[in-house]
Amino acid sequence: MSTFMGYERENGRVGTRNHVLIIPLDDLSNSVTQAVENNIYGTRAIPHPYGRLQFGRDLDLTFKTLAGMGRNPNIASAVVVGIEDQWTQEIADKIAETGKSVEAISIEGSGDLKTIEKASRAARSMVKEASGKNRKEFDVSNLVVSTKCGESDTTSGLASNPTVGVVFDRLVDEGATVIFGETSELTGAESYVARNCSTPELKAKFQKIFDDYQTDIIKEKADLLGSQPTKGNIKGGLSTIEEKAFGNIQKMGTKPIKGVLEYAEEPVVKGLNYMNTSSAAAEAVTLFSAAGAVVHLFTTGQGNIVGNPIEPVIKITANPKTYNSMKEHFDLDVSGLLNFEYDLKEAGNRLYNTMLKTASGTLTANEILKHYEFAITKLYISA
Amino acid sequence: MATKFLAHKMEDSVGVATNDISKNEEIEGVYMDNNKKTTVKAVDDIVLGHKIALKDIKKDDRVVEYGEPIGKATQDIKKGEHVHTHNIKTMRW
Repeated sequence: MSTFMGYERENGRVGTRNHVLIIPLDDLSNSVTQAVENNIYGTRAIPHPYGRLQFGRDLDLTFKTLAGMGRNPNIASAVVVGIEDQWTQEIADKIAETGKSVEAISIEGSGDLKTIEKASRAARSMVKEASGKNRKEFDVSNLVVSTKCGESDTTSGLASNPTVGVVFDRLVDEGATVIFGETSELTGAESYVARNCSTPELKAKFQKIFDDYQTDIIKEKADLLGSQPTKGNIKGGLSTIEEKAFGNIQKMGTKPIKGVLEYAEEPVVKGLNYMNTSSAAAEAVTLFSAAGAVVHLFTTGQGNIVGNPIEPVIKITANPKTYNSMKEHFDLDVSGLLNFEYDLKEAGNRLYNTMLKTASGTLTANEILKHYEFAITKLYISA
Repeated sequence: MATKFLAHKMEDSVGVATNDISKNEEIEGVYMDNNKKTTVKAVDDIVLGHKIALKDIKKDDRVVEYGEPIGKATQDIKKGEHVHTHNIKTMRW
């Protein structure tokens, strides 16, 4: 059984990073959080454009995402800053359920400058406390790992996605939790995914999520189906939507699906989980990180460079041209699979080892380049 | 003989070119699930990323890649032929 060096949190969960997170409840609070991030070493702000006049499921998802980022085990403690105190406190309370320390600070009645001072002082104490925490050895079964692909080409289905599949299978065998998503990109292989659900209830839940997505597409009169695969896909060699979808789902590996999750929902069952997500890279990785994933495996063909503010994103390609022209964005090149230098098992070993090192503290390309995309999924218009 | 394609599963009826393949070229490929090798004589030019038939496929038969049907043949396809939108189509619409 493999191990990694992680940070243990108050609720027993294990993180791979030790950030103090500065969370703006709404767009108006971005300035304060960014000022705190500038003032205080070891903090990370997650500015975003939402949080005002949203309602229903859309509002719930925004707040669930913000609270989820604070709850993630990669976060040691958090400061929540909002324009008014009530909602700010509710998000802070959601984060405090995990046992970590959290401060709620509101702007109304004090203004930005006093709020920046108060939030900076709170963050300063939190960083001092967090910096005293040491990494300890943990079994890989403590990891929650997510995956997504972007700017895919034929090298993705042929090499980089199957490499992730090998690692996902190994992680499941070793008792870890792994998550895949991308509802729209499953089109053409959705019956395969449904068949892989381990109970009839999970299968029905998955089918409903998929059918609801199709209904939304039809409602907007968008012809996503007729235009798939795209002209670029066809030029690259993909002939049908089924072929494109099966290339994508090589990432999920071969294990039965044990959990079907809604947007940003924290997994409760170990093993392979599916989460309803957009296939837009930043939105999907944000949803995984808000659900508590602590390492991400991202494959790309043509060079998607997405990152995340709290979940290290390991970037993998099997396209040698992409790797050589954009080297600074990559953590692993598996193009050797296509040159017959090594086989799929060896590619899986290389990615598994890269993942263990990342979980133990080695920085990813996205962290070094400060690619901190944070994109909340918006479900519909605001009031 | 040059190794020029990969197939995912033993039951696949197509492989994917990892290098450009020329018409009449005798080439070798590898099955990724068990590292077994197979040889095919290419009937067409096939560019990197495109598919080659590993067996004869009859019109209306399913075309198998990743161990799963990815479409059906719209005409008879001979072993070694280029497999793409001109001779297979989706089963969805």
